[in-house]
Amino acid sequence: MRKLLALVNRELLAYFSSPLAYVVLTAFLFVNGYVFYLIVAFLNDPRTPGMAPLKLIFGGTIFFWLYLLFVVPVITMRLLAEERRTGTLEVLLTSPVSEGQVVAGKLLAAFVFYVFLWVPTLAYVAILASKAGIDYGPVASGYLGIALLGAMFLSVGLFTSSLVRNQIVAAILAFAILIVLFSLGLVENLVTSAGVKGALGYMNLWNHMDDFGRGIVDTRHLVYNLSLTAFFGFLATRTLEASKGR
Amino acid sequence: MIEVEGLTKRFVDKDVVANVSFFVPEGEVLGFLGPNGAGKTTTMRMITGFLSATAGKVRVAGLDVDRDPLGVRARIGYLPENVALYPEMRVEEYLRFRAAVEGIPRGEVKARVDEACDRCMVGDVRRQLAGTLSKGYRQRVGLAGALIHKPPVLILDEPTVGLDPRQIVKIRELITELGREHTVILSTHILPEVEQICRRVLIIDNGTIVADGTPEQLRTGLAGTAEVKVELEGPPAEALVGLSALPGAKTVRDAGNGRFEISVEGGADIRREVFSLAVQKGWMLLELSSSMPSLETIFLRLTTTDVKAEQEAPAEEVANA
Repeated sequence: MRKLLALVNRELLAYFSSPLAYVVLTAFLFVNGYVFYLIVAFLNDPRTPGMAPLKLIFGGTIFFWLYLLFVVPVITMRLLAEERRTGTLEVLLTSPVSEGQVVAGKLLAAFVFYVFLWVPTLAYVAILASKAGIDYGPVASGYLGIALLGAMFLSVGLFTSSLVRNQIVAAILAFAILIVLFSLGLVENLVTSAGVKGALGYMNLWNHMDDFGRGIVDTRHLVYNLSLTAFFGFLATRTLEASKGR
Repeated sequence: MIEVEGLTKRFVDKDVVANVSFFVPEGEVLGFLGPNGAGKTTTMRMITGFLSATAGKVRVAGLDVDRDPLGVRARIGYLPENVALYPEMRVEEYLRFRAAVEGIPRGEVKARVDEACDRCMVGDVRRQLAGTLSKGYRQRVGLAGALIHKPPVLILDEPTVGLDPRQIVKIRELITELGREHTVILSTHILPEVEQICRRVLIIDNGTIVADGTPEQLRTGLAGTAEVKVELEGPPAEALVGLSALPGAKTVRDAGNGRFEISVEGGADIRREVFSLAVQKGWMLLELSSSMPSLETIFLRLTTTDVKAEQEAPAEEVANA
């Protein structure tokens, strides 16, 4: 456990000592602030039907997805690719830590950084709570959805970072896989076969976030998110193990 | 302490390391010599478990590197050829991180970091960012990291490459000192380094071991020859025949003007016999000296095919003589 904590701490130090972290954080806040403003302005229009504004923030707009699809590969691209490129991976993997611990440590650190990105958005909750009554249940489940989705996306990014030495290539690969995962649900409407439609519907991330935003914590969504997180984490571990043969 | 048995590593269709076996007993400092690309780094990486072997076994302190990789890693301090540090970490932070990863109890970390800094002479850069260190300091910080957990085995891959002469001397002194408490495998292609530090030398070429022994054994036994230089006043043809007939003389080369170079089998000293012969024949002896081939000569003979061909050449001269 102490080794894992040491790995997480080192990774967080790397995040917060790089300018990239602050650029990502600033851009994230700017985009989210703008989206919040748009949502509030939209809901203030008397012609708009009554809606919960936070539900729109939690995956209700395309901005949420676009930004997440871009920002996650940027967060994860460095994680293993950079260690491989500089050679620090050789020191790390000849220390008494397993490949699984290295992957877990990196994923946890990336997750902590991701959560850190979202923390300032609690201000929106506070602003809305001060102006109108809000239901905290859907807020909590919305944040849970964001956390689960983040873990899954980060795991994909960590996996692609384990494949290559070049961070940009890792980011592009992650982006490609994430686009596929994201769009799987969107092609749901294009197929006619009930079985395929059902399967694709199960994988529809937009629906997942819609449910979470409404306060529904569906175990199917939990299982989907967590199993994909574990699967890509496993692939990253196996990639590290397999690189011994090179 | 380190047992390597039939170790082979195949990349695509080439055996980079082919059926290498050796044993390093506890407390030995082994010099691992070889030209660039001979398979030194690959062998060391297989011992540390960073690379898996295509065939063969590695055991460190009785533990199999395939079956108990973490156990082996815990017993090894490894300094890779290119010392890579995390540029954003301060030296002290880096060493504390290495200590934690090595599983050193929290209470002991500070003392270990202090000790490693002292030993590797990096105390003056403790607060400096690793990314701003000079090559010499990076090398020493890497070494400090490798020995922070006081491993029984140290594997150092070309630890003095790229250092200035003062730093080289310091690092060599440190490795010599470390050799008193640890089993050390030191890879290098700097021959004086091996002569100074190592009790035993292993020469690897094209992925196979071509020599194994103490530097003295290599000079006498494996090189096969010592050289005796003679300068005398006497009939050259008769002298050549007389010298060639001496017991132990392998080849004799007439270098002209009464000078002869005798290669001696097994490195034996035949100067007394040469002297007696000269007295007996009434030749005036002007110079008589014996020299052992340097480790450099042996290294070149064992690892360069051109020189291997040259080795055959003196034999022909004997035939002529």
